[in-house]
Amino acid sequence: MMALPNEIGRTPARRAVLTAFAWLIGVLFAVPLLFMLTSSLRPGEDILANISRITVHTFVPTTWTLDNYRTLVGGEFGRAVFNSLLVSAITVVAGLALCSLAAFGLSALRFRGMGLLFGLVVLSFLIPFDAIAIPLSALFRDWHLANTYLGLILPGVGNGLAVFVLRQFFLNIPRELTEAARVDGLHWFGVYWRIYMPLSKPALIGAGFMLFLFQWQAYLWPLLIGTDPTKVLGPIALANLNGQFKVDFGAIFAGSVLLTLVPAVLLLVFQRHFTGSLAATTSKD
Amino acid sequence: MTVTGSTEATGGTGQRTRSAGRPRGVDGVRRRPRLHEGQWWVGLLFLAPGLLSLVLLRLAPAVAAIGDSFRKVALDGTGQSHWIGWDNYARLVANDQFVGVLLTTLKFIVVVNPVQVVLALALAVVLSERVRGVVVVRMLVFLPVAAPAAVATLVWGIAFQPEGPINAMVTGVGLPRQPFLTSTSQALWCIVVLLSWVGLGYWTMFLIAGIQDIPRSLYEAAALDGAGWWMTLWHVTLPSMRRTLAFVLVADTMANFLTFAPIQILTNGGPQDSTRLIMFDIYDRAYNIGNINIAEAEVVLLLAVMVVITAVQFRLISRER
Repeated sequence: MMALPNEIGRTPARRAVLTAFAWLIGVLFAVPLLFMLTSSLRPGEDILANISRITVHTFVPTTWTLDNYRTLVGGEFGRAVFNSLLVSAITVVAGLALCSLAAFGLSALRFRGMGLLFGLVVLSFLIPFDAIAIPLSALFRDWHLANTYLGLILPGVGNGLAVFVLRQFFLNIPRELTEAARVDGLHWFGVYWRIYMPLSKPALIGAGFMLFLFQWQAYLWPLLIGTDPTKVLGPIALANLNGQFKVDFGAIFAGSVLLTLVPAVLLLVFQRHFTGSLAATTSKD
Repeated sequence: MTVTGSTEATGGTGQRTRSAGRPRGVDGVRRRPRLHEGQWWVGLLFLAPGLLSLVLLRLAPAVAAIGDSFRKVALDGTGQSHWIGWDNYARLVANDQFVGVLLTTLKFIVVVNPVQVVLALALAVVLSERVRGVVVVRMLVFLPVAAPAAVATLVWGIAFQPEGPINAMVTGVGLPRQPFLTSTSQALWCIVVLLSWVGLGYWTMFLIAGIQDIPRSLYEAAALDGAGWWMTLWHVTLPSMRRTLAFVLVADTMANFLTFAPIQILTNGGPQDSTRLIMFDIYDRAYNIGNINIAEAEVVLLLAVMVVITAVQFRLISRER
């Protein structure tokens, strides 16, 4: 293959250096995660004893233990992780329904004022949620939604980027399919449910992942609206561990691992769909 | 910004998505096929849940914030508020701490955005090379995206402790111990490091996709012209991904503007307000200082900035203009 001028690794020697450099970068990004993981598997004293000098024991525990996880799972933190799972799961299902219905209305149908509506929907949802979180939390308290699952879930279901990604995908579904189905007497909801949804799995996975990440990683909103111990979400419970009188490093690391593990596994499984959806927001078909 | 639509040449041969406008006949006159008649109410039905949540979750709080920003809650304990016009805004602008917050936020944004975009671009260029195991390296760079803000904050907070592992490395190479989060001159940059660890992988993925979209023929032409690596980067790669770069810059700006968790968890705006960014300032005024009306005025100002940035972002991702 002809070496092109955009390539850095044109000769074997250059490519060897580049390979080493790329791997060094990858390792640098992974080191904090590794530190987090191994620290979660050792007693708190063992972390403290090895934290102020860099030796092999910065990363390799002298004593291995699962105690940090045991302490967490039984306590308030376990409850918080359960809450996070519940809230995120419902958000994904409800969010996909809402966003795909809207995307369908804005792509398969033709009606007067659609361009305007599309702009309105996506534009409003693109305004970052956190910017209006504080006035919204006051309204939610008035509406008796504070410290309820519904109150925690609702803000996550409308996601402008998800609507956008789904609509982009829907626009590429041939209109002939819709028209043939309509002629055969299928109603519009049937077109949505029986034609568009089954054809759009990759986009649905990508959009679902966006909805999930938003909710799972949220910090400000659950801090404002979910302070009751039975409704605390994972990230808040984790931050609370840090605020206690005696800070338990082992527990913090174990909690960090648990909260990172869920999206990390999903990311590894669905990476192709997710990055594909990300790419769809800026690239052209 | 006129970026939209100016990079038509880079799209390859893919077909352009259908225009959102009404279908036109050959003579250019508007034509409405019978099948589509009366679709507006069907469309409205499909859009109803979205529009409803839009009104309740976006419009209502924005209107409430604007309303509250012109009022003042009476101190007599009745919770009654009364109209005071632009007073809250006037008091904000006259407040030295608020001016400090704006300056800190501006300094933060002006440094963090270019740094993150340039680093993400460099990463994307390197990770688009034919390197052994590049898929694994990309995964490693992308993996921190999985970490919620609270996790990244706590892990880096421990790493930045005076007796922590980063100082162990610093003293290990013979440098003096650094104060990091306890120093007015270093704390904000520690926050930048932890935010970049989480965010860079995310933006890099966008940019890698942008690079992979560039047709090979452009590089072959550059090779025939005898262009070197820098020339190719400057005249082929960067212009071809202008749109992606602009999107990343805008989206990154928005994310950084709303930085909150690291400040609330680690520094509380300190030391001496050196990390007091706007989102934390709003939260602090509303809940710790307890002046909700002033906080709402600040929300309105932030919203105004966000609306402008969002409009730019929307133009960038919308292909139909």
